[in-house]
Amino acid sequence: MVDILYPISLMVNGKTVQAEVSADLRLLDFLRNDLNLTGAKEVCAEGECGACTVVLDGKTVNSCLILAVETDESELTTIEGLSDGKILTQMQKAFVDHHSVQCGYCIPGMVLTGEQIVKDHDSPSRKTIQEDLSGNICRCTGYQKIVEAIEKVGHEFHE
Amino acid sequence: MVSKNKMKYFRPSSTHELHDYLVDVKEMSIAILAGGTDLMPRWNDDNGLRPDMLIDIKKIHECFGIREYENEIVIGALTTIQEIKNSILIQKYFGALSEAASHFAGVQIRHRATIGGNICNASPAGDMLPGLYAHRADMKVIGPNSSHSIPISDFIVGPGKTVLESNEIISEIHLKKSGDSSCFYKLGLRQSMAIAVVNFAIAYTRDSNNAFTSLNIAAGSVAPSIVFLNHFTDGIMNGTSLDEAIELVDKDIFPIDDIRASADYRRTVLKNVLKYTFRHELHENCE
Ligand SMILES: Cc1cc2nc3c(=O)[nH]c(=O)nc-3n(C[C@H](O)[C@H](O)[C@H](O)COP(=O)(O)OP(=O)(O)OC[C@H]3O[C@@H](n4cnc5c(N)ncnc54)[C@H](O)[C@@H]3O)c2cc1C
Ligand code: FES
Ligand code: FES
Repeated sequence: MVDILYPISLMVNGKTVQAEVSADLRLLDFLRNDLNLTGAKEVCAEGECGACTVVLDGKTVNSCLILAVETDESELTTIEGLSDGKILTQMQKAFVDHHSVQCGYCIPGMVLTGEQIVKDHDSPSRKTIQEDLSGNICRCTGYQKIVEAIEKVGHEFHE
Repeated sequence: MVSKNKMKYFRPSSTHELHDYLVDVKEMSIAILAGGTDLMPRWNDDNGLRPDMLIDIKKIHECFGIREYENEIVIGALTTIQEIKNSILIQKYFGALSEAASHFAGVQIRHRATIGGNICNASPAGDMLPGLYAHRADMKVIGPNSSHSIPISDFIVGPGKTVLESNEIISEIHLKKSGDSSCFYKLGLRQSMAIAVVNFAIAYTRDSNNAFTSLNIAAGSVAPSIVFLNHFTDGIMNGTSLDEAIELVDKDIFPIDDIRASADYRRTVLKNVLKYTFRHELHENCE
């Protein structure tokens, strides 16, 4: 028996993508292997670490826990969709300015989560930022500089 | 069951479409998919067999949203934990659910995880469950030919077990506006992103002298499913001192040892946190 394929059509980083996928293909694998968008990473594959974070219809989600077929007719942003060529977003720039990056593995997820935090909260406190970062694990930085970068953008955003 | 790339997928947009479909697929093994935050980690763990058919209910519009009626609040089964966390209605009427949602996983999971999924997963540690028990929520179950309503304490029958037939889903959760106040406590091994070692919800009303006129406590992670602490609450309602009543908790719970905690630890910690709550939070608030 041949594999059953399902047509999907979605917006990825502002462009329409059409594909045929089998029902068990994870969104994370679809992005990395089929669309060559390798910013989202696989670490835990169980929703704990946030390295696979992408933005689905305006909300951060773990792409390791979502099937590609589920995203038919939706709008997706990955880390590759943030900057405009070489022009970084405020959040990306703040991560650079605050030296928030070490090995970088967690950073695509951290930046997207940071963007969500400043969208959800006016001038978020450190406590709020820490709480909302709880779905993103970093083994290098100790979080401090990541929190500082997000805090900075949070303040600028609402000035 | 089939190998994973042979699995079929179907996404109905109404209960009508779902049921038309279910009539034809009686011999198939079926899995219902909501947010997938319980289902997918399980599947990522093993690369083995899948159900013949995955039915994604996320577009079934009858299961969306939180609605207020004169005497009750109705929560669609597909309502996400983040939507519950942000809901002013839920905060106003069902504090325990609001607090449970705030202590639930991290943002990415809360954006996906649904209340219906938390109920149907029927984990003894499910964080939305104690509040739903304490407020005596009713589940609306719909099948191909009928729908009925069932109290949550009858709906969940054991760890991971509910009374749902394979062709039924929960569409809504009904909660009466009883006027009860409620609160929720969770002890995990760390502050966030942790499964509860013990969790419980207290729903209560009081008279003008601050005496309880109703008291209902449901606790999780201390038995195969959520339990009501009836011996303890009867003690309190009958005027037994807190120190004496707290020992009655032993008659209400059946904790086990597992990777997160020992039975003894769960027992001790539940009693200590309950005592603290009654002494310092419930009593102080109203003095
Ligand atoms: C990293 C991580 C952290 C977590 N943290 C917590 C936590 O803090 N507290 C907690 O309680 N849980 C937690 N969970 C568990 C999980 O997120 C919840 O149980 C969630 O509510 C499940 O909802 P879902 O929509 O994702 O369910 P799904 O995975 O889609 O479904 C779960 C089960 O319910 C069935 N189902 C779902 N909806 C319906 C319906 N309407 N009718 C019939 N059957 C249905 C499915 O068939 C499946 O068997 C966590 C999970 C992860 C991965
Ligand atoms: S890989 Fe998805 S959360 Fe860790
Ligand atoms: S920078 Fe290395 S994991 Fe975060």
